[in-house]
Amino acid sequence: MENLLEIKNLHARIGDKEILKGINLTIKPGEVHAIMGRNGSGKSTLSAVLAGNQNYTVTEGSITYLGKDLLKMSPEERSWAGIFLGFQYPVEIPGVTNVNFMKTAVNEHRKQNNLPPLSAAEYLKMMREKMAYVEMDPSFSSRGVNVGFSGGEKKRNEIFQMAMLSPRLAILDETDSGLDVDALRIVANGVNRLKREDNAFVVITHYQRLLDYIVPDIVHVLYKGKIVKTAGKELAAEVEKHGYEEFEK
Amino acid sequence: MAEFKYIPQSEIFNCSVELSGAKKFYVLDGKPMGFSAKDGVIEIPSEGDLLTQVIFVRTTPHPSSYKVRIHCPAGSSRAVILCAHTTGTERYVTEESVAIAMEENSNLSLIVMQNENGASSHHSTFDISQKSSSTVLMNIITLHGGNIANKVNCNLNEKRAEAQLSGLYLAGGEQIIDTTVNLRHNSGECTSNQLFKGILGGNARTSFKGEVYVAKDSQKTEAYQANNNLLISDTARAISDPHLVIYADDVKCSHGSTVGSLADEELFYMRSRGISESEAKLLQQQAFAGAVLEKISNTEIRERLSRLVERRLRGEDTLCAGCAKRCC
Repeated sequence: MENLLEIKNLHARIGDKEILKGINLTIKPGEVHAIMGRNGSGKSTLSAVLAGNQNYTVTEGSITYLGKDLLKMSPEERSWAGIFLGFQYPVEIPGVTNVNFMKTAVNEHRKQNNLPPLSAAEYLKMMREKMAYVEMDPSFSSRGVNVGFSGGEKKRNEIFQMAMLSPRLAILDETDSGLDVDALRIVANGVNRLKREDNAFVVITHYQRLLDYIVPDIVHVLYKGKIVKTAGKELAAEVEKHGYEEFEK
Repeated sequence: MAEFKYIPQSEIFNCSVELSGAKKFYVLDGKPMGFSAKDGVIEIPSEGDLLTQVIFVRTTPHPSSYKVRIHCPAGSSRAVILCAHTTGTERYVTEESVAIAMEENSNLSLIVMQNENGASSHHSTFDISQKSSSTVLMNIITLHGGNIANKVNCNLNEKRAEAQLSGLYLAGGEQIIDTTVNLRHNSGECTSNQLFKGILGGNARTSFKGEVYVAKDSQKTEAYQANNNLLISDTARAISDPHLVIYADDVKCSHGSTVGSLADEELFYMRSRGISESEAKLLQQQAFAGAVLEKISNTEIRERLSRLVERRLRGEDTLCAGCAKRCC
């Protein structure tokens, strides 16, 4: 099967600081990858580069997504092509309601596929259905995007947005951080419901905890901007037991 | 933000857009049509419970200077919307003075909508005088104009008077929009609240000068003042100059002022969801303007003005839905 994503020798920096120092990673449809690593290993930088955050500069290497040069695409073009980033720190947008935000996003996606915009009723039906995936109260739709949301509510909102946009490649950047066990279960169930044969997930995390719920096919350990170990799901348990030290020699 | 490019399709001035529960009046170049001016002052008619809409249209390039009066008798409740328009691309110069007299327990909801061409000059002074327990809710929405100056002098002369003043100015191109507010708490137990916001593009210049004055014996005063400006170009300049002058000691007063640009992290978040950069910026600007538009209590007018603001921000003609270009 065709590769969904192929990263070759990726180097990236923020300001003068090189953070990614030669990442190689191939993702096929249907796979769930976990990327583990300590703080500062480059996990969030990798997700930001994949989503097109212009604060990061790619200095070397390539990223091919569905046969196209991802680095030439704007953040919105990446979204239209099926890439979704679940933010570690979802952004608050006062004055823009959740419903207006997501409706605009869904309709822009439809426009790219030459589909007419959803009617208010159609949108509402879809929204209710997807909110149920993450047990989110529909009253959240009339509130400003993430404004006054608790940590757990913000993460649920990320998964809700993911459900609305139905991505081909979802990158979840520390979606488990700041979640209690119940919220973790709700978020993981949402993700598991969205798994298909033609899409893939990259789950970025410090801990094995989330991987008990979202079981990965492949686990990578990131250290100082490089993937230093790749193995099956048993690697996560190993990290949990022995820590990162043995991979950092 | 595009230039205003309205040219009327008719010589007959007749606003074709219905406004529920409203009675329309026209003032052409300072002359009231079908109602009279008393001692050279245009008295805004009161039609029972109806909303009074007065459409001020400039048609000839001669300077025009006129006086307007809005009187709210004791215990009355009035709603007035004043719309200012120019018909062509000439330079129209307008000097307008509006006196607003609020008797005891009266209530006024006043909306001022300004939409003029880029060569026009329109200076307005609003003198508001409030007696006890009167309330003024005023929104000034400046969609377009060449050189617009709005000066609001509000005097809270007796106890429990309340003034809620807000404004939104959208300035692009070479536009200059100045706002001055002098709010005087001459008596105690009064409340005032100001929220003025501006969105500036192109080479626009705006200024906000606001003073809240609390007299020596005006205890239990509550006064709040905020001015926020959003710059969407590198060459626009906003000046913000808020002041509090307080001589009483038992008061709650605050003021704040900001000049900023669109938040990058919000923009990236929206774009990462597939919202194009231009649409994301528009959403941010609408959110910014929303805080002022929300204060308009009449739903129909609020929706109409929100639409006009959106059209203005998109660079489209600022016309109401169903406008036949027959009045303004």
